[in-house]
Amino acid sequence: MTTPDPSTAASSSESASTASSIPGSASPASRPPDPSPGDGAGWLKVFLSTAGTVFLAELGDKTQLAALLLAAESGRPLVVFIGASLALICSSLVGVLLGRWLSSLMAPQQLERAAGVLMVGLGLWLGRQAVLHLAPTAAPPLL
Amino acid sequence: MLSLLASTFATVFLAELGDKTQLAIVSISGTSSRPGAVFAGSALALVLASLLGSAAGGSLTRVIPTDWLQLAASAGFLILGLRLILRSGQGDALAASAVEADEVPPGS
Repeated sequence: MTTPDPSTAASSSESASTASSIPGSASPASRPPDPSPGDGAGWLKVFLSTAGTVFLAELGDKTQLAALLLAAESGRPLVVFIGASLALICSSLVGVLLGRWLSSLMAPQQLERAAGVLMVGLGLWLGRQAVLHLAPTAAPPLL
Repeated sequence: MLSLLASTFATVFLAELGDKTQLAIVSISGTSSRPGAVFAGSALALVLASLLGSAAGGSLTRVIPTDWLQLAASAGFLILGLRLILRSGQGDALAASAVEADEVPPGS
């Protein structure tokens, strides 16, 4: 580890450059196997993991609750719910399209690494918030 | 009624743009081969969450331990993120071995 082998370093950087220049050759290596066998199970797995993560993350989200609460003061919860739902569906559509667009721009491996780092960062930040709320005495506020 | 609908839509949509949830959706959809499943899952989860939110209103924090849910969500983010990083590393190794085995075939 202290003395990195120059040949492996060269080959890995070379593979990264070829992967970015020829995305078609890199995609079968890093993408999960094609959806044809067990298509429904794979779809359900993606569906459930997305739904679970987003649901948990969104349920405690203070800004959304505040917006809903503010809107609900008008006394028409159904209208508020429909408006909020439409907005949330649109925003998740925007997110999905943005992700598709990025995946057409970047090599899959680079995108996976960037997305992984982003999600680990989000996880650490979310976890820190939750821990600070659960144990406020452990870390005194910076005031 | 229409103005309430529009103002709720605008408020929630703007609050949601660039939110952690949307960043997560971008990450998942960009690295998954099933954008339909990602969209269906995230849309359903968001609608359910807002249903719970508007039904319970401000008392949601008393009904549900949201801090613990956030902790669970952060664990979910960490697992998904680490899995993506590991997969990208495996992809690199596969690509490297493919490059060593033979020259890269010309792109189709």
